[in-house]
Amino acid sequence: MIRAENITFRAGAFKLQRACLDVRRGEYFVLLGPPGSGKTLFLEALCGLRRLDTGRFFIDGREVTALEPRDRFVGYVPQDYALFTHLTVEGNIRFGLKAQGIDWEEATRRVDEVADQLGIRHLLQRRIPGLSGGERQRVALARALVVRPKVLLLDEPVSALDESTREAICGELRRVHKQFEVATIHVSHHLEEAFSVADRAGLLRNGVFQQIGTLAELLQKPVNTFVAGFMRCQNILSARVVDRHDTAAGVTVAVGRLRFDLPDAPRGDVQMVIRPERIRLLRKEQDRPTGSICFPAGIRNVTDRGVYLRIELDASFPLVAHLSPESAAELPLHPGTDLTIAIRPECVHFIGC
Amino acid sequence: MPVGDTPVRGWRSILFIAFMSLFVVLFVTFALLLIAADALYIDWASVLKVMRSGYIGHALWMSLWTSATTVVLSVIFAIPMGYVLSRYRFPGHIIADSIVDLPIVFPPLVVGLTLLVFFTQTPIGRWIERSGIEFVFQPKGIVLCQFVVAASFAIRAAKSTFDEVDRRLENVALTLGCTQWGSFRRVSLPLARNGIIAGAILTWARAFGLFGPLMIFVGSFRGRTEVLSTTIYLEQSVGHIEEALAVALLLVAIALFCLITIRLVGGRSVRL
Repeated sequence: MIRAENITFRAGAFKLQRACLDVRRGEYFVLLGPPGSGKTLFLEALCGLRRLDTGRFFIDGREVTALEPRDRFVGYVPQDYALFTHLTVEGNIRFGLKAQGIDWEEATRRVDEVADQLGIRHLLQRRIPGLSGGERQRVALARALVVRPKVLLLDEPVSALDESTREAICGELRRVHKQFEVATIHVSHHLEEAFSVADRAGLLRNGVFQQIGTLAELLQKPVNTFVAGFMRCQNILSARVVDRHDTAAGVTVAVGRLRFDLPDAPRGDVQMVIRPERIRLLRKEQDRPTGSICFPAGIRNVTDRGVYLRIELDASFPLVAHLSPESAAELPLHPGTDLTIAIRPECVHFIGC
Repeated sequence: MPVGDTPVRGWRSILFIAFMSLFVVLFVTFALLLIAADALYIDWASVLKVMRSGYIGHALWMSLWTSATTVVLSVIFAIPMGYVLSRYRFPGHIIADSIVDLPIVFPPLVVGLTLLVFFTQTPIGRWIERSGIEFVFQPKGIVLCQFVVAASFAIRAAKSTFDEVDRRLENVALTLGCTQWGSFRRVSLPLARNGIIAGAILTWARAFGLFGPLMIFVGSFRGRTEVLSTTIYLEQSVGHIEEALAVALLLVAIALFCLITIRLVGGRSVRL
């Protein structure tokens, strides 16, 4: 539905480099990345608001690279919504229909329809300055959707909202996406936001796509340490494959002073990634589960994060584990206490150096 | 006592506002004292005499139509110029931007002299004069003089106000089906309205009271190129101080009336 091929362009000192992306029909795609990574620029280029140095954009199978923004049929909701403050809510929603020469009766019917779908019928005669963040967001969505775009581009649509409104609006965005069946690219730097809406996601850094895939893929199989770090994997450990066996035992990996066997790993120096929530903590005297890698570790620090506990451990290398309050209740979690760590081999991911 | 949106908390706040307001009071009082001095000095019989005279009526009419024409012309230039200077960077942008401000810092008298030299001493100027559009010592010259001196205020105000219009609004309009012209006409222009009105007010105020360059470029021929500001000069130069002050008061009254009316009616949210 949306295809970007080798998109390269400059904006001041920033350069977006050979960006490729394929968003499927009806898919909700979240474009992730830290601030300044080029997410908004990519969206603006897709809208036709930036001239490309190289590359091509396709929307619904048609090349749009050389087309003006108005001929691309995109619904664009910029950050902070960019509502027209000199118009009423109705004026804002009607704006695109008027620009496209839709007759007044048809435009009124469409404005009413989209206002009903988004629950803002009662706001139609209101002026923009008095609206709340959530109301503005709905008006901006209505303005973008009323022209029946082929794709919907949302630039940090909920970043200006408080946390509870953000959650509610994310749910609504997902509902609207389903209802209008329009391929959507949603720009965000919040991981939680992506989890609540995305079918797939892409992670951008300094104008280069690092990884594109489902959130589970990004979470469990990051292709580099930046992706692992962005996906909040706090255990990124330098390791080395010291021995490669011909048997099913696989390879022997050395991390700090420890050595253990794993089914497979890339050759030589590697980065070993273990998600903190995949680490199991056991009392020293407990039986070690079969098939898991087990080794001793001491507790350095425990922080209560409300919904989970963050345990900092020392196992001749630093490790962080997240425990639910229920699991934590069964363990002596005091700094200095020695425990046993158990990790399933499939929970260890390697990134080649 | 709340002032605007600022709540007053304690005597320190009151002292602060009193200190800041002191300057407003001093300035306004001094201006009112000056006007009052004129009003007390003149003999009101001579005021009536001046008001009834035909040449004052003509000068008033000349002042009003020339300044109004200047405002219209200035706004016509200011909107596209302000937009281009605000939105685009091009070779010579800094030079163009600086030249716009030049008449603001230029002594107005020099503008009159420069215009006179241009239209009488240069081939292009002489050609324009010969082609039937005469400016030197003609009423049209009043408008030209006022335009050169005052248009910068309108252009500067338009540029500043377009600077404040978020470019993303235009971008959204483009994605919604507008052409570049449509996005300008339907988004940028309405949002810049207040700034443009403010610039027009400043332009009118500058043009209405202009004197020096007019004396050099168009002279002050009674019944032809005389405007209220030059009438004052003419009257006082022949010793008619009271008549000169009467015209001056008329000028002040009209200027005040227009400025207050524009604020009240034209744009309540106009910020100068």
